[in-house]
Formats: sequence, C-alpha cells, structure tokens
Amino acid sequence: MAEQLSPIEKIKTESDGLRGTIIESLRDELTGAIREDDQSLIKFHGMYQQDDRDRREERAEKKLERLFSFMIRLRLPGGFLTPEQWIAVNEVAGKNSTGVIKITTRQTIQLHGILKSKIKPTIQEFNTAKLDSIATCGDINRNVMCSAHPKQSPIHEEIFAYADKISELLKPKTRAYYEIWLDEEKILDKKTEEDTLYQDRYLPRKFKIAIAIPPNNDIDVFTNDIGLIAIIENNKLQGFNIAIGGGLSTTHGNQQTYARLGTIIGFTGTEEKTLKTIYEILTVQRDFGNRNDRKVARLKYTVDRLGVEKFREEVEKRTGFTLEKERSYTFTDRSDYYGWYKNEEDKWFYTLFVENGRILDNENIGMKSALLEVAKTDKAIFRFTGNQNIMISDVAEEDKKIINDILVRYNLINHTDSASSIRKNAMACVSFPTCPLALAEAQRYMPSLLTKIEALLEKNSLSNEDIIIRMTGCPNGCARSYNAEIGFVGTALGKYNLHLGGDHEGLRLNRIYKEGLDESAILNELDGLFLSFKNERKEIERFGDYSFRKLFN
Amino acid sequence: MLAENKFKILQDLIEEASNEELAWINGYLNGIVSIKEPKEKTVAKGAINKITIAYGTETGNSKKLATEFAAKARKKGIHAKVQSLDQYRLTDLQKEEFFLTVISTHGDGEPPEAAKKFYDHVHNNGFKLDNLKYGVLALGDSSYPLFCQAGEDVDKQLNKLGAQRFAPLQKCDVDYCSEADEWFEEICTALNKDVRVPAIISPQKKSTQSTARKIYNGNLLTHINLNDRGSKKETYHIEIEAEKVSYFPGDSIGIIPENNISIVNEIVSLTGTDVTTFIDYKDELVSLFDLLIKKLNIRYLPERVVKQYASVIEKEFPIQRMDLIDLLQLYPVSDANQFIEIAKILEPIAPRLYSIASSPDAHPGEIHITVAKNSFDVNGKIGYGLASGFLSGYKPGDPLQFYIHPNNRFRLPEADVDIILIGPGTGIAPFRSFIAEREATGATGKNWLFFGEQHFVTDFLYQSEIQNWCETGVLTKVSTAFSRDQPEKIYVQHKMIQQGQEFFEWLQTGAIVYVCGSKDPMSIDVENNMLTIIEQFGERSKADSVKYLDSLKEDGRYITDVY
Repeated sequence: MAEQLSPIEKIKTESDGLRGTIIESLRDELTGAIREDDQSLIKFHGMYQQDDRDRREERAEKKLERLFSFMIRLRLPGGFLTPEQWIAVNEVAGKNSTGVIKITTRQTIQLHGILKSKIKPTIQEFNTAKLDSIATCGDINRNVMCSAHPKQSPIHEEIFAYADKISELLKPKTRAYYEIWLDEEKILDKKTEEDTLYQDRYLPRKFKIAIAIPPNNDIDVFTNDIGLIAIIENNKLQGFNIAIGGGLSTTHGNQQTYARLGTIIGFTGTEEKTLKTIYEILTVQRDFGNRNDRKVARLKYTVDRLGVEKFREEVEKRTGFTLEKERSYTFTDRSDYYGWYKNEEDKWFYTLFVENGRILDNENIGMKSALLEVAKTDKAIFRFTGNQNIMISDVAEEDKKIINDILVRYNLINHTDSASSIRKNAMACVSFPTCPLALAEAQRYMPSLLTKIEALLEKNSLSNEDIIIRMTGCPNGCARSYNAEIGFVGTALGKYNLHLGGDHEGLRLNRIYKEGLDESAILNELDGLFLSFKNERKEIERFGDYSFRKLFN
Repeated sequence: MLAENKFKILQDLIEEASNEELAWINGYLNGIVSIKEPKEKTVAKGAINKITIAYGTETGNSKKLATEFAAKARKKGIHAKVQSLDQYRLTDLQKEEFFLTVISTHGDGEPPEAAKKFYDHVHNNGFKLDNLKYGVLALGDSSYPLFCQAGEDVDKQLNKLGAQRFAPLQKCDVDYCSEADEWFEEICTALNKDVRVPAIISPQKKSTQSTARKIYNGNLLTHINLNDRGSKKETYHIEIEAEKVSYFPGDSIGIIPENNISIVNEIVSLTGTDVTTFIDYKDELVSLFDLLIKKLNIRYLPERVVKQYASVIEKEFPIQRMDLIDLLQLYPVSDANQFIEIAKILEPIAPRLYSIASSPDAHPGEIHITVAKNSFDVNGKIGYGLASGFLSGYKPGDPLQFYIHPNNRFRLPEADVDIILIGPGTGIAPFRSFIAEREATGATGKNWLFFGEQHFVTDFLYQSEIQNWCETGVLTKVSTAFSRDQPEKIYVQHKMIQQGQEFFEWLQTGAIVYVCGSKDPMSIDVENNMLTIIEQFGERSKADSVKYLDSLKEDGRYITDVY
C-alpha cells in the first residue's frame, strides 16, 4: 500500500471549501476545459469534465483542443420531479446540453455536453426550479436512492421521506456551490460553514446510500455503501436493517479490488437512531478509510480491513447505542412494474420503458415531446426508477384518461408493452463517447446486442424469461453488471468479459465466465447456454440460478 | 475636332492596340500635350529647392520610394518634406508649389486605404490648383487589369484642376526600382535647372510577370479545414513546400487561381469553339483551353468588359457585372470565331494575395497560408470566391504556382519591443507568423493577441498552437471574442475596451499595434475603440486622442493590413 496520501487528498484539503480556482478556470477564454485540480473539485458540485472521445483525432488535426464539455447530475433524493421542474429540465436540456435527458442508474437525471460557458446559466436555471446538483459526484455522499414504486407499500411516502432527510443530513456545509454558480456573496466568517462531518477532507472515496422496500430490490440495495431495508409489519414502518460495505467497482488486473455486496450489521427502530447510525458510519469511513490508494478506498475495503465486527463496534462507540438484531425480510424481484398501477390512495402510476434511460425524440418515438406534454397538463409528477425508467405518477382517477391519451397518441404504451422482457430489464452505462473511463461501448451498443440475444432466446423458446442483463464499458460497474444474471464488462473496444451466475433478486454476485469475448463469441456462448438451460433447468429455476449451479458448482 | 483622315488613322490605331498599348499611348500623348501646351505659364526662373513628396502606400513600397527620393533630393540640396497621404492636410494642396506623389494601386484599380481621402478630395473638383506643379509616380502590378489606375486617375485629375504636370506620369510595375530612380533623377536635374522633364516611359519596357517577379513552383503539403463540424465557416490552413524561397513575416504570397474546368467545358460546348486554337496572348502562343483555364478571368466580369462584349456581338443590353457563362447564355455569340474575339477582350485573372502564416525560422522550407472559403449567394446559387474555391479544392501533392509579395510596412519590430496583435478571423495569419518567428528567434518583447470569430467550439483558429504559446510564455496575453456564443455580439474591439487600462499602459510603454483582417467594419471599429481607450484611460480630450493616434501612425506604431 502506498504510504503517501493520494494527490486528490491535497486538492480537497487545500480547496478552501471546494472552491479551488474554479472561478479563474471559468474565466479562462483560451480553453473549454478547467484546470486539472478544479476538475476534481467540480465533481463535488455535481459535474464531470468530459470530452467527445470520438472527435479527439479530428479536432487535433484541425488544431483545435479536445471537444470539452460537462455533465451535470442533479441531486434528486428518491428520484422525484414536479411537472414544473420537468418543464425546466426539458428547457435547459434543449438549450445548453445535447438535448437528451438521461435517467441515471441512481434515480436521478444528468445532462451531457454542456459547454464551460453554459454551466453557470444551467445551474442558475436549475436553481430557479428549486433543483441543485450539490454532491452528486465526488468523495461524498451522493444521490440517495429509494424504491420507486408507491405500489410497494401504503407507507411509501414515509419511507421515501428518509431519502430526503439522509441527503440533507449528509450535505456538505460549504457555500462554495452558491458562491461560484449562483453568485452568492462570499462569506467572510468561515465558521458558518464549518463541517463536522466532512471536515476539510471529505470522504476517501464516493459514498452511496439506498433504501429498499421489500419485496422489490429495484434499487439494488446491497450494491451500496449503506443499504437500508425497510422493515414493515402490520402496515407500519418498524425501522431498517442496515447493510454496509456494498460496492461493485473493480480495476482490471488489480487483484486487491473486488465487487462486494453489503453485509447487514443490525437494525434501527427509530428515525433518530437510523440517522445517527448512518452519520457515524460515514465518520468511521472518514477516519479509517484508505486515503493513500483510491483503488481500495471505498467503504467495502475498510469494512473488510477492520472486520465487520470491529467496524460495527466503532460505529456503536460513536453513536452511543448498540444496533438491534437484523429483522427478517424477503426480496422476490428487481424489475420495474411497467404499465398502469393504482396505489392505496387511488392514485395511478404509469411506468414507461426508457431504453438505457435516454429520453429524447428520435425517428421512432417522440418520448421527450410526450413527457413535456404530460408535464404541461400539471396532472402528474415524475419519478425515476433505479432501472433507468420513468414513472408518471400520482395521477388522479379522473385525470388518468388525459394522461393515457397522450401516451397512446405518442405510441408510448405500445412502445413499453412491445419491448421484450430482457430489454426492459437491461441496463447499460454511458461509456463512449463522453466517459473518460470507457474501454468499450455500452449504451450505444447494448440495444443492438439485445436484438441478437432476443433472437437466440426466441430460437430456444425462452422469450418470456425475465433475465437481467447489464453492460458496463469499464470495470467500474455504474450499470451494476456485477450483480446481473448476465453481465458484460468491457475490456477493450468490442471486447467484454462475460459474467454469469448472478441471481435475479440481487443477492448474489456473478462471476467471470469467459474473458475478452467479441460479439460472435458472446452469442455463441449464450446460444449454447440457453439451449442447455431449456433442457436442464429445474422447475421455476431462473437463468442466473441455473448458470450458477451449472458453471460454478 | 479631328479631320476625317486623321481620325481614321487614330481609330485604326486604337482598333489594333492592346489595352497596354492604349495606356501607353495615352501617357505618351499626355506628355506631349503638357510640353506643347501653349497657355502654360512658364515656370519662374531659378532653381526650386523645396518640394513635398507624399505617398499613398499599402505594402510600404510607396513609402520606401518616397523616403529614398527625399534622401536623394537632400543630397542635391533640395529640401524635401515626406508625408503619408493619410497624414497630409488636404487644404495644404492649394498652398503647395511643388508636389510629387507616389501612389500604388490595389484591388480593381483602387487607391490604397491610406490615400483614399486624398484621392476623393482631388476628385471633388470645386477648387483650382493653378499654382501647383506636380508629378505622379504610379506603382502597380501589370498582372491586374487596371494597372496603375489610381496613379493615372490622380495624375489626370490634378491636371484637370489646373495644376501643371512638371513630369509625365510614370507607371511602374512590380520591378519598379530602376524606372522610379530614373524618373526621380530626371526630376532632380530638372528642378535644379527648372525645366520640365520629358516622358521617359518607353513601350519596350512593358513589364510582364515573367521578368517582373520570381514565380515559384511548390507542392501542397497540407490542407486542413480549421473549422470544426457544424461551423458556418470554412477556413483552410494550407502548407506549401517552398525550398529556398526567402520572405519575411508580414509578407504575402500571390497565387493565380485557375478557373473551374467544368465551367470552361460548358463555355466550350456553348460556343462550339475548338479549344486547340492557339492565340497570341502577351507575346506568347497559348491554346484557347489553357487561356480559359489559366489566364482569362471569366467570373463576375467588370462592366467595362461587359460593355465591350456587347459591342463585339453588336447587341444592346443592360450593362451589369456578370459571369461569362451567363453572358454567353443570355446573349450568345454568333459563332466560334466571334467567341475568339470575345476571348481577346477578357482581362487576365488577377492574382490573389494571402498573408503568410508561417515564419521562415519556425517553418523552414514551407509557406503556410490561412484561406477563408468565401461563399456568396448569386441568384439562389451558392458561389465561391474563385481563389478560395480553387484552393479549398486542393489536395496534398498538387502543384501550385506562387510569388512573394513583400509588405515592408508590416514588419516585426526590434526583438525587445512589445506588440499588440489584433487579428480576428483570417487576420490571425500574419500574427501566427509573427509569434512563431518571435518564439524561434527568442525575441524578448511581450506579445498580446486579440482573436475573434463566431463560435469558440468550432472556429477558434489555431487554438492548440495559441494555447501552447501561452503555456511557454511566448504569448503574454490572449483576448478572445466569439461573437455568436451569447445573445449580444462581442467582437475584438469590445475586448479591447474591456481591457482598456492595460491596453493603454502597453501603448504608453511603447507597444506597437498591428491590425489585420476585414477592413469594414472591423478595422474601423478597432480604430474608434483605440481612440476611446486613449480618451478614457489616457484621460485626454477627443482632439488630443486623435493626435495621439496620429502620432502612433506616424511613428509606425499603429500598422494595419486590412482587406
């Protein structure tokens, strides 16, 4: 292990509350980029500097610098937008970004392709719509997820509110965001932004929290640094099982890195105890996490290094109370409930299939226009799912027809109904051309690969199987391919590791089956597996369970 | 006025004479008339020892000559005052006794920018110059149709205003030195004796390009559109192989573009002409095809040519500028022979000048230029400027003919002098040369570049090079203006004002300001804003600011190359 602090640590502590020289970087007329140190800092403000990797060579020949732009990700605890906010996002996306509204794998929205000069106007327009992008990237607690569908439970609202409370609790105290992007006056008394949680170091690495409402694990609770599992008895929220140390990202060729599912360390029965426990888990990670080597800095490594017991004791020492024994729960699914559903309060919800979370108008379908029209009726709100889909929600009985008519008119009902099961369960990360980490294509390639896999399933009469297939263009696992039934992890352009054996509910990670396959090898492998699955499966055995039994036992 | 037989001789002479010859005859007759003129006052006896030499210069040749003349005059005991025509107080002309002017011609027979006011003033009439004795030395380039036109105009007009031609108009081609010297020698001699000089233009001295200037052949090395996808602009960075070609930063190259072969083919098929017919063109037998491709201008013919066209085909129609192909379609020639008559009235393709964007020290063996493809809309058809269209279609490896067009006025100063470079659009070209040269030679002066275009993302010409120069400190400061990246249009001149304090400080500490790019409105706005800066940040009155700027011009600290 390297003994020296990683360079990012110095950037953080010397950043004057995440300010750095961002203002100077914005003023630099010569480049569309910002200074290197500031590139680490703007993540804490919810944005990444990227460049169009497809255009690098051609631009270099034209004596132009790389085509730099920025991705801005909103902070939407639990993934929720009012119709006015949707209209604002739609407007900003058209004006300042590529126009695509991208639903992320963490229930929020991000816009790509924003030029340096358009960052401030974008954030200002978001602010007018009461939206911000604080702490959606960087070494800090990021967007808090919560099971999306109110059908889950009559007390969804109560649980959903926790996402907001946790987000507020773990927000950084610095006013830098308001000063830099919203022209708030510079504060003189630095004490007012003193941050007892993050101090000036923030966390060693990114930090993710999600809340699941059984029986659906749509937000992949065990892949988070902290996963809360709502325990409901007699239609009442009893509290949460708390799982720690989940995380999927690995590094190719680095044996120290691994994907890990969270370990439940206990149960908390009151809001106060739940929030306090979460807070102190962060402080333990802040103090014990590895700050020398960012590759092994996530909470999962700290938990394994200290041991789960020792970690829990440290948390309990800090909270001053012991965690209760975990309660029982059952997950049966991870899929979204597509189509119309009604909740206990007679409100209607329509979950629309959005391939890879990309909302746009294309030659086939005018999804963006349709959703704008829905928003303009002011009769529905928008929720996002952990599977990158959108839910048109809280529609009153009498308004359902109006909304449904719009969806029919834009052919969205048919679009959702006719998509295959595997397509509706699939996810792919952004990858090329904007992601700097990408090794292989993902969201641009996945749709066409799925078409070929659909054909194989049809050939083997397996079209109705709900197999979860996920693809990421690098080993960082943004699209959570490590706990899919079929996972693709990019290694080089056109080459993927094929992961198999994950379960359907997200309780078992998959494993590498074959490395560096090209498309024809992938299809060849799957064809064989589908055939043996059809012939050898046990009754109601899922593909993930079958392949685990067959290949890894 | 003339008896019929005399008139016939004259007409025959005119009929057979080329444009060149007509021009010469015109000058010759002028000279004779001025000598013969009976009403002319005899110039007072006694040597003249005080003269004014005013120059109108674009590239510095006129200035250089005027200064040399003055030095020579002084040696001969004649006091000579030298002044640029844009500095010359026009009302002084009437008080002037002996006035020489050296004036060049640009574009389609136009005077240089610096001589424009003077040119307009003498054409205004309304006053007499009865006491004035004058001589005009006209500089030009015989590869352009209206050779030395500006000088010719001024000479004629001064005469019309009642001034006496002391020496006949002397027209000089690009190799002007010896003719100009001879002309001035004779003037000096005459001044000492106070007699008029006879015309010294001789028809044998007709300059042609082959003797006037060195034509180089080079291959195209690189050809890149600097604008990114989605841009409304197309600006080509072109690198030409140029071994053993010497030039200075600030110079231009001249390129004679060729006509589009498909249009030439269309003309040929329209007129039924045999393209292998050889025609005597400037003492050279050239095939009609080569003439149409390489020599004759067939695009956007000037009215004077259209008029001649009408008389050749003996038809009347509204005279306006248009392409030959359109003329041929609207008003066809009777047969192939008549088309040959038409070919004879066509003017040569004028060379196009491009500021050199490379530095002899930084890019040895190469010449770089920056060419904007000019597109324009003609009757709904998108047309392109001949030369830029021609160049944009070039591919690496293609051969290219060019010559060096020196611009002595536009030169880098001493290595330790600070410079401010204002070059939006293709105006960046000579400054790329300047900066590269200063980097290569390790010049210590500070360099401040102003650049502007439409969009930052697609139109920042030479962005990565400029970034490198900033990083290495060669460029002290860069200010950019991208006009269409925000609702309000922001141009370089606005950025100057924004940094007015610093701009003025640079001026005060001796910086030289260079401007290159479009004449109107850019260079005008830049000049106005310089005045504003001097006024505002130099705390001077309007009148004093003008004086301040004038002195910058006089000291060669405010230099423009605009088009």
